[in-house]
Amino acid sequence: MDSAEIMSRVKKVIGQVLKIDPSTIDDKANFIFDLGASSMQSIALVAGLEQEFGIEMEEDKALQVQTVGDAVAFITSCTH
Amino acid sequence: MPDKKHNLEKVFYPQSVAIAGATKVPGTVPYDIVLNILKTDYQGIVYPVSPREKYIAGVKAYKYIIDIPDPVDLAIIVFQSSVCHLAMEQCGQKGIKAAVVISAGFKEVGPDGLERERRLVEIANKYDISFIGPNCLGVINTDPISMLNASFARKMPEEGSIGFLSQSGALCTAVLDYARAKHIGFSKFVSFGNKADVSEIDLLYYMGEDPKTKVILMYLEEISEGRALMKAAQDIIRQTGKPILAIKSGRTSEGASAAASHTGSLAGSDEIVDAAFRQAGILRCGNIEEMFNKAIAFAYQPLPKGNRVAIITNAGGPGVLTTDAAIHEGLALARFSDETTDIFKKHLPATANVKNPVDVIGDARADRYNIAVSAAMKDDGVDGAFVILTPQSMTDINTIASEVVTVARQFDKPIYTSFMGEADVASGIDILQRNKIPHYILPESMCKSFATAFHFRENLRVPEDGIEIFKQADKERAHAILNTAIEQKRSYLPEAEAVNVLKAYGLPTLEGGVAHSASEASKLASKIGYPVVMKIMSDDIVHKFDVKGVVLNIDSPTVAERAYTSIIENVKRLVPSARIQGVLVAEQIPKGEEVILGMKRDPSFGAVIMFGFGGIFVEVFKDVSFRVAPVDKFSAYRIIDETKASLLLKGARGRPKRDIETLAVCLQRLSQLALECPQIKELDINPMMVLEEGKGCFVADAKIML
Repeated sequence: MDSAEIMSRVKKVIGQVLKIDPSTIDDKANFIFDLGASSMQSIALVAGLEQEFGIEMEEDKALQVQTVGDAVAFITSCTH
Repeated sequence: MPDKKHNLEKVFYPQSVAIAGATKVPGTVPYDIVLNILKTDYQGIVYPVSPREKYIAGVKAYKYIIDIPDPVDLAIIVFQSSVCHLAMEQCGQKGIKAAVVISAGFKEVGPDGLERERRLVEIANKYDISFIGPNCLGVINTDPISMLNASFARKMPEEGSIGFLSQSGALCTAVLDYARAKHIGFSKFVSFGNKADVSEIDLLYYMGEDPKTKVILMYLEEISEGRALMKAAQDIIRQTGKPILAIKSGRTSEGASAAASHTGSLAGSDEIVDAAFRQAGILRCGNIEEMFNKAIAFAYQPLPKGNRVAIITNAGGPGVLTTDAAIHEGLALARFSDETTDIFKKHLPATANVKNPVDVIGDARADRYNIAVSAAMKDDGVDGAFVILTPQSMTDINTIASEVVTVARQFDKPIYTSFMGEADVASGIDILQRNKIPHYILPESMCKSFATAFHFRENLRVPEDGIEIFKQADKERAHAILNTAIEQKRSYLPEAEAVNVLKAYGLPTLEGGVAHSASEASKLASKIGYPVVMKIMSDDIVHKFDVKGVVLNIDSPTVAERAYTSIIENVKRLVPSARIQGVLVAEQIPKGEEVILGMKRDPSFGAVIMFGFGGIFVEVFKDVSFRVAPVDKFSAYRIIDETKASLLLKGARGRPKRDIETLAVCLQRLSQLALECPQIKELDINPMMVLEEGKGCFVADAKIML
């Protein structure tokens, strides 16, 4: 799975959870500051990404994932 | 002027406010803050900032702060803590100079939060932004030209002249609720939370200059810059005459730590806060009720010019209770002039008591109260009046309350009231409170508040006393002794060395030397002249009396040799592990009063000086008082006066008067030593012998902890 595919699937999950069009999501967008995710939505995002990629995100590490770019980098490191 | 104060005007009087992190979800902090600003008739423009919403509470929202087309004075940041720095960065880019960070999740949650807080401060400093918080309730300004409630408090308080600063946000909401029930109004209301940038000291200075604020109240949980706080308070009180009342919590959480010196053991952090507040003129209160009891006295009525009060009551018992409380608080019952007494005799019933306390009798109605209160207030021998009421069947409570209001407005003297009871008197109390007449449930609280206001005025009149610098003090010599001990990794200076440090600062010490054998002790004693005293010298022994290491009244060479031998034997038997450096032989001065002078270094307030009843029972009687150094002449006398030991020094029960003047100079010299020798952690001079008037005082024993 290459980075472009991961990016596309991450944006799809974000779009579903935050109910926004994935094509409008910037690669560097911050979930809270740019996309307006609430605390509950942030948890739902982590759960959605875990399910989409079949990975587990420990709480400490999940807290550090704050942007679309962070999520892609984290998933890339998990799948390699 | 403190650095962070220059942007505070934009915090309280912004022309426009952005709420960064606003949401549309009712019941959440971001939404309630938007709503509070909108519904309290804020006089500026509101810009909600929300990444997702187009409108919040009917107001157009912007995705980013930098998207707002117009200038913004103040940003209220309510984002989650992890992104507050992004909002702060945009504030900087937008040119916003003032912010309030409401969000929690900073220093109070641990190292990660501390790092987030540090980042916020860094960005704020980069753009010269002053911000309040984080982790706070917000700010309120009731001034009609602003009307800003940028907080998540439930309601806007009434307009008033009390400025309130609180480190606890939750306490703020309780205080607002308490105050609303009593119609207590505020000028400004600030919850400053973690005070990462703007501190309570910056806010104090702002309140000091705020024309809408007459009285400043503070709730503090920790004091990080004690000396700066004292200076701010002293500046404000001296320059503006505004009283500052404060609650400092944690009175019992930390007692004095186990310490090697008496001073270290007696000077707990709370005692030092007490002393520092008293010294700075801050009126410390034990609880919210006491604070507001006193605050309304300051905010509503003129300060009493004297302590002579007139008590007007319709019931004998409460009159006596109030009299007792007044006397207990150091007030005096006014003696009415013949003219006033004649008015009372003419207009009050024959059964009425026309002397103070004036009893207008249980069936008194408003006209009788009016006559009595007016006549008392007109009397030049009266500095203020207490109006007491108990509700009888014929008592027209509301009319009496209104009459009190009318009379109070005619005089430049204070009137305080106590309408005793609860249900029947409630509407009368409401009239008093709405019309800014201080009301107290208990006469004791009324008298205490009057006394506080009276003493505050008295203290304002005390001229500032300069700090005397003793130029002959040999700082280099003291430093040489202290530094040598530090180089040798010692944590304690025994008496012989401690005395030399004190001597360098002109504290009166006794002639003496150290002996290492019985014959040497005898020779030394003969050289000094009899009688002499001998004391063990050992780094391992702090309290010499406890190990029988002291012998007094040695009057011959034979006794001197015997004393030396006995001291060494006692110490070897009682503390076998003690390393003995010798025996100190010193001249014995005539018996005086034994006092203790001490010093301790406090993390918030720095060098603190202690004075008290000395000798071996110092920790039993705990008759001590403290001052933050430097100690001026006035403070030196005051610190002495605050102890019971002062009664002995002044010649209680026929004892001779002692040399308080020299003692006061010793306290000032010790204060200079404390400030100029930071190597000293704690110091005890115990006892210092205070001889008869004009004969001086002498250090009889001393120790220094490094």
